[in-house]
Amino acid sequence: MIKVIFYGLFFALLVYSPFVGTAVLNLSELLDPTSLSHRIFVELRLPRVLLGFMAGASLGLAGLLFQNIFRNVLMTPYTLGVSSGAVLGAGIAIKLGLGTLFLGFGAVTLFGFIGAVTTVLLLVWLSRYLKRAEHESLLLLGIALSFFYTAALMMIFFVSSFIESHMLMRFTMGSLSVIGYKEPLIITASTLFLLAGMWVYRYELQLLALSDEQARLKGLNTSSVTLILLLISSVAIATLVSLTGPIGFVGLVVPHIIRLVYKRDVSRLILPTFLFGGLFLVACDTVARSIELGSEVPIGVITSLIGGPFFIYLILQNRGR
Amino acid sequence: MIKVTNISCGYENKPILKNVSFSLTKQSHLTVFGLNGSGKSTLAKAICGLIDYKGSIKIDGTELRKLSYIERARRISYIPAKVELFEQYNTLEEFVLLGRYPHKAAYQNYTAKDHQITRNALQTMKIDSLSARSLHTLSSGQQQMALIAQALTQKSKIIIFDEPTANLDPANSLAFASQLVSLREKGISTILITHDLHLGHHMKAPVLFVDNGTAEYFADPELFFSDDSLQHRYAVTFSRRALGVVYD
Repeated sequence: MIKVIFYGLFFALLVYSPFVGTAVLNLSELLDPTSLSHRIFVELRLPRVLLGFMAGASLGLAGLLFQNIFRNVLMTPYTLGVSSGAVLGAGIAIKLGLGTLFLGFGAVTLFGFIGAVTTVLLLVWLSRYLKRAEHESLLLLGIALSFFYTAALMMIFFVSSFIESHMLMRFTMGSLSVIGYKEPLIITASTLFLLAGMWVYRYELQLLALSDEQARLKGLNTSSVTLILLLISSVAIATLVSLTGPIGFVGLVVPHIIRLVYKRDVSRLILPTFLFGGLFLVACDTVARSIELGSEVPIGVITSLIGGPFFIYLILQNRGR
Repeated sequence: MIKVTNISCGYENKPILKNVSFSLTKQSHLTVFGLNGSGKSTLAKAICGLIDYKGSIKIDGTELRKLSYIERARRISYIPAKVELFEQYNTLEEFVLLGRYPHKAAYQNYTAKDHQITRNALQTMKIDSLSARSLHTLSSGQQQMALIAQALTQKSKIIIFDEPTANLDPANSLAFASQLVSLREKGISTILITHDLHLGHHMKAPVLFVDNGTAEYFADPELFFSDDSLQHRYAVTFSRRALGVVYD
């Protein structure tokens, strides 16, 4: 019953979401293709809801994946520095003024992608020097990488012009602003790729979530499966972060709530995480668009405002384990 | 079935076992004793392929390191002294079903046969009434039974137990001992690592005593269980009448 109310509320918000925003839509004109309301609804609002849903789903799934393969609820692409890597990549592209397109993608997107993938590969390489099951150290490595990236980004800020700085700052706050369907469809594809990957490897994830030793005793080559899953998720996360900027804490909060509500093992949480991750970010975005502060509040700010205190709660909960 | 010849192994260039040899035939039992930190669990992990080794470990004539992870899991199960699982929400039945993983076709679901084997194992271990309970809500004794049920579904011919009775009360220890005997009757070879001398004596099977990285093999267990031998190896005085579970 709780689940029905839970999903009912979020679905209602999903339907309501495209009607929220600074421009007030004239409902009677909505079906008239030549009207402004129609154009705003179809070309700005609907793509934004699709992008928000898929971005949330990706972040939730990637969080679920990281938490289970590293067996630590604090592990997410955001806490491990993957998002910061993307931001630094994007920052370099902005500073170098590389607006030209490679294969139809902006340089900012491409550099962001390279930054995220490089970070995952760096983490995989560094983790070889850690003892097995020393995943706490991996978290510290991720935090160290984040600090390093942030410092490098500060350097870029320092030497940037006013316009470059402004572009950089907007990117680091994360945004779901979008015109048309190109970005939403790219994110939809990368999200479905991640969903399919996790679904195909659901039984392997189930074993990895027990313990490394248990998984190997059941015949699983844990190193190779972990690498495959990390690469799948890094493609999805890199694609996402390079287009929307970093959106923090969704990957931390969503899987945790889903685990508490469902109380099932990871193989049965993949679809609920996909669904709730999407609904959660659409809800946050609806809030972001409803607040009147001259211009809309960046989505990354809203999720971090919710996620920050939640992160502290998780750390305190985690003490006993 | 298992032939271990001159194996040496350890962690990160810190050798723990040196030139250990023994063998175990089909449907037989070996009890492994040793002081704390002598390398008993290390030996078990080497036999399961969890850590690298020098020397030779042959299972049914094939060198262990030449077997794939799946092939190893089909041949050997290991029940560690203590399991710490990140996943909290597996039900008992789902957890036991994971023993079928090495037999499952890649990327396929578990079959009806896998589920049937799982239910049979739960019944054999007399924990079928708990099958819908989450693993973390079970007692140590019930978790121990769950691990054995999982090893049964794995259908491996060798099961290694690492201090299985350490967390069990006397009644559960007794129940475990009878399970151990019945496993042998099912054609499974068992290796028992324990400090429980009564249990080891009850098994009436060869003994391996691991001491400071080396091991002594006793084909006749009575040679190991003589008062002089025990006193010499453990450096404490033993009494045949000391308190302990009477398995016989």
